[in-house]
Amino acid sequence: MLRGMAYVIAHDFSVFFKYRWFLAGLISMNLADLLIMGVVFTKMVSFNYFKFLAPGIATMGLFAAAFVIGREVNMETRRGYNQYLLSLPLRRSELVFGRMVAGGARGLLYAIPLLILAMVILRFPSAIEIGLILFAMYLLGMGISGLAISLAVALRSFERFTTARSLLYLLLVFCSTVFYPISVLQQVLNGPLILFARINPLSTVSDLLRGYMMGTPPVTLLSWLELLTFSTVFILGGAGLYALAIQRSV
Amino acid sequence: MRWFFVIVQIGIFGLAVSRIVVAMQDYYYYYAMGVIVMTMYSVAIFLGYEIYDEADEGYVEYLLSLPITRRELVIGRSLAGGLRSFIFMSPIIAGFLIIIGIEDPLKILTALVALYGFAFGVSGLSITLAVGLKSGDRFDIIMGALDAFIVRLSSALYPQAFMPGPIAIMSQFNPLTYATDLFRWSLNFDVSYLANPGLALVVLLLFLVTFNFAGIIMYEHNLEGGNWR
Repeated sequence: MLRGMAYVIAHDFSVFFKYRWFLAGLISMNLADLLIMGVVFTKMVSFNYFKFLAPGIATMGLFAAAFVIGREVNMETRRGYNQYLLSLPLRRSELVFGRMVAGGARGLLYAIPLLILAMVILRFPSAIEIGLILFAMYLLGMGISGLAISLAVALRSFERFTTARSLLYLLLVFCSTVFYPISVLQQVLNGPLILFARINPLSTVSDLLRGYMMGTPPVTLLSWLELLTFSTVFILGGAGLYALAIQRSV
Repeated sequence: MRWFFVIVQIGIFGLAVSRIVVAMQDYYYYYAMGVIVMTMYSVAIFLGYEIYDEADEGYVEYLLSLPITRRELVIGRSLAGGLRSFIFMSPIIAGFLIIIGIEDPLKILTALVALYGFAFGVSGLSITLAVGLKSGDRFDIIMGALDAFIVRLSSALYPQAFMPGPIAIMSQFNPLTYATDLFRWSLNFDVSYLANPGLALVVLLLFLVTFNFAGIIMYEHNLEGGNWR
């Protein structure tokens, strides 16, 4: 099982680095947000916004990079590439879970430099805390990959997929604590939107990172449970839908 | 989708950030005006992508064979590009003007002229880059990088008064700074946070003339004789 998955992961990593210009654009956007917007807003707000934003940017970068696998799966589904994948000497489960693992790992790999930058700006946590941070980010990456793959196979049309992706991006990023604390969101959102902002995995991971690197908000067991639930639901959902989609493409 | 983007930017991000900004009054309106101009920029820049689609479909040669001069072609497309952005954003602009209660026709006219002038210039910039680069990938990359920096290194999101030295200097060479500040000035925003309106007008004029002129030259030099690959 692991050997087959390793081939799938190696393939997905080689494809990921072909998007070097996309990645260069993404990293410029993330760095511009932190090093320009974060610096200027620090002069306009009552707390150190630059420090507050650093973990949020690492989370946002992870989200965007982990979502890329959805674009690939969508293209493969439309172009009949799934039939080639099915012809490979791999078990279905190796292919499906290999892609999930690769999607999460690619997101994590992209976000690690941003995480190191956040640690330089804030503080370097203990080795155990660093391990927990990486685990949390990996779980988010896998969950996002599962979500992206689910969308990619459910909405076969590229236009519908990109529209859904943009919609999801706006909701997940702006209705989260990436840019502002939850106490601020409570003042401007209500009803389902504030509930969404609270359970949003981007909020959970941004706050977990802040908890480990800044001490506030405190890390709770509930945050971990929320993250585990999100990842489990979307990894299994994504895997199921993807398996069904490649099965139907024959 | 872009309308949804504007609504989320103004309705969630703008509202939330304005709650934490303590250094200035009315940051929410300042930000909303910035988002309107930023979106005009994004819509106007789209013209460049259409030029690549036309090249793929062999439509460039058809345009070049029309009985009109290159100058008429480029300026006509820039004017149309600006007008399209303007029409696209008009419901949001109208809604915003109603919300902030601006009724003076002269103020409204100045605001609209500032927006249209900027969109016209951005369309010229988009044509110049698309025809100058002649590579969809390179154009996409440059546009991505420009988008990341042109917005953040301008007064679209925050006033120059709060920018540290190097960022403030770079924002002074950015036409988006002058377009947003001129738009805000026409809508009676506190002038202490804005660039000089006279200077803003001159910069915008220079911007639109320069890039439309460059677009004409690029069209004449880069597209004649089946030069597009």
